[in-house]
Amino acid sequence: MSAEPADVIVVGAGGAGAVIAKRLAERGAQVVCLEQGDWVDRQKLPKAHLDWEVRGRRYWAANPNVRRWPSDYPVASFGDNPIDVYIYNAVGGSTIGFAGNYWRFAPSDFRMRSLDGVGVDWPLTYEELEPFYDVNEREVGVAGLAGDPCGPPRRPTLLPPAPVGRPGRLLIDAYERLGWYWWPTEQAITTVPYNGRSPCDHRSYCPFGCPNGSLGTTDVTYWPKALKLGVRLITNARVRSLTLDSRGRAQGAIYHDSEGRVHEIKARVVVLCGGGLGTPRLLMLSDSSRHPHGLANSSGQVGRNLIVHVQSFAVGRFDDPVEGWHGTWGGSVSTRQFYETDPSRDYVRGFIMSGVGGYSPLNLALQLAPWGPDHHDVLDRYLNHEVCMYLCGDDIPEEINRIELDWEHTDAIGMPGVKTFYRLGENSQRLGADMIRRARQVLEAAGARSVRDFGLSPIWGWHLMGTARMGDDPAASVVDRHNQAHDVPNLYIADSSSLPTGGGVNPTSTIQALAARCAEHIWDARRDWRGAE
Amino acid sequence: MAYDRRQTDVGIPQEGGGGPYRDYRFEVAHAEVPVGVPRTFKVLDPQRAASLRGWVECLVPARRGRPSAAEVGAAEYIDATVHSASGLRETLLRAIDRLQALAGDAGGGGFATADLGERTRAVRALELEDRSGAFDMVRDFTYEAYYAHPVVLAALQRDLGWDAVAPTRGGGMEAFDESLLQRVKSLPARYKEVR
Repeated sequence: MSAEPADVIVVGAGGAGAVIAKRLAERGAQVVCLEQGDWVDRQKLPKAHLDWEVRGRRYWAANPNVRRWPSDYPVASFGDNPIDVYIYNAVGGSTIGFAGNYWRFAPSDFRMRSLDGVGVDWPLTYEELEPFYDVNEREVGVAGLAGDPCGPPRRPTLLPPAPVGRPGRLLIDAYERLGWYWWPTEQAITTVPYNGRSPCDHRSYCPFGCPNGSLGTTDVTYWPKALKLGVRLITNARVRSLTLDSRGRAQGAIYHDSEGRVHEIKARVVVLCGGGLGTPRLLMLSDSSRHPHGLANSSGQVGRNLIVHVQSFAVGRFDDPVEGWHGTWGGSVSTRQFYETDPSRDYVRGFIMSGVGGYSPLNLALQLAPWGPDHHDVLDRYLNHEVCMYLCGDDIPEEINRIELDWEHTDAIGMPGVKTFYRLGENSQRLGADMIRRARQVLEAAGARSVRDFGLSPIWGWHLMGTARMGDDPAASVVDRHNQAHDVPNLYIADSSSLPTGGGVNPTSTIQALAARCAEHIWDARRDWRGAE
Repeated sequence: MAYDRRQTDVGIPQEGGGGPYRDYRFEVAHAEVPVGVPRTFKVLDPQRAASLRGWVECLVPARRGRPSAAEVGAAEYIDATVHSASGLRETLLRAIDRLQALAGDAGGGGFATADLGERTRAVRALELEDRSGAFDMVRDFTYEAYYAHPVVLAALQRDLGWDAVAPTRGGGMEAFDESLLQRVKSLPARYKEVR
């Protein structure tokens, strides 16, 4: 342990932590990042191997209960609609298993309470976050096209849109027949050489790793630059608790290394970026006499308001082959036709629908093909004849949806796992039903012979948000508009847990823009924390 | 957005997840068994190995140029997996023994030597009575061994046009044609202005 405190400790090297670390380091801050996982061995990315589907079900499994990396902690799921949690604990965090859908939130996403009378408003506006969307997109490399009438005007996106392939063309034809809006999906994928990264070579199935390095996972976007700027990244550092000094200011962290040895590290500022489960878990583990219900939890909101998005897939089967094996998995073309609240519908808020490719052979066999004499006939009917649509809608935060510590199931060193409790609210159920109905309408307009869908339960836990939410009122939120904890002035929480609402789109772009904004504030406030010693 | 099947027939993988048996998925994360590699049996004795071969052939039989699961080494793959994931061994051994008994109950001369129809009836009976999770485990492992095998993937490309190698090697695609957006570009803005 160094006696001299770092300027900033960042806990978590994922989507948000990487942004914070890099941006503060380039301003001149001394940054240490503690990551409980390790670097992913790129030789072991599933898609570097022909049997990638099998590898994806084993050591690359998205559910930590299956994957069981040394860095993982168990997650148990309860409630009326239990969550099938998908998270990764590694350098890059859960971006290493994402598909690259990279939407900005709409201005109305920041005003749910004011516009729709439910949920909460953000304490900031789209316009306040917009410059940081720009900054982050330049860093990540985003494919897309400016001019989408379903979003506010913006500067031209940097990289050309990804090819849409035959599945995309089928959906475009459907949208044109229906007279609906559609647009190429924005994706954190380099479609041309960019910042030393290769252009996408269209291998699809992006969540199984991108050996090409085109997918914007933070281990290939932010971290190489952050390390060059001098960020000290300590991997396999499992933080046990955050520490406070006698004045109640954050002082640092206690962590276990890969051998289980205990270390303490100090800093002037602590930034927590453990994600929607990891962040509240660590706050709860950092309780003390001063913070008996968990650090920064005077509001009682730590671990509450878990939001996950209303998600499903609809899959159309076509008579002709669809060549659904290539392109980008995240989405070729999408529609925000139903994104904004429409008083004629029986719910508020809305959803997106993104065209995807077709399911791969093993996955499809596991879904549909019976064993025995009919096996091949069924497989043949669907393989290369299906186009998938990913559906994602807004989820209204409710206090009852929450996480708790799970002392019955612990990680490799005896720290508690997490219990999630989730119930899909009435509005979300109605929204989800309409979302699926509309997707069926698109696929039928595209000429699908039949359409199947995956319903709404169990809940896909890909987007875990809201569990340390931001707000102006310290009695109802954990952090303020700058991601600064209401209760601990030099503690910041700058990840998905700070999102008060989740919009109706994949959240990584917004999480990273928010992290960039938070880093700016931390640097602007350096007189406070440098003079606070 | 990630990628996985909806687990309609299997619960969310969690300890004490409510199923009648321990989910095999908890055991296999660290069982790295590359598909398509020639291997011999390590766990099963010759009789059980023959029975497992007969079992996987029932699950995915051969058809018009496509091999059976047995022909691409699915039984050996399952054996190698339970060799690496030792917690699954007993489940597999008991299921094979039960299958042999079911074949005997049906009046056959042993599961491994029975014809495909008789074996299929025995496997169906096992599926109906199984409460150990063994049937689901063997079926899923068989599908894994089959649909990741180079011979099968080549057959899928030949028969269905599915390019199974593209996800690992990539390939060219036609660039997006922006002229397709002509109509949409003429539409009014469709997002809510917020003041």
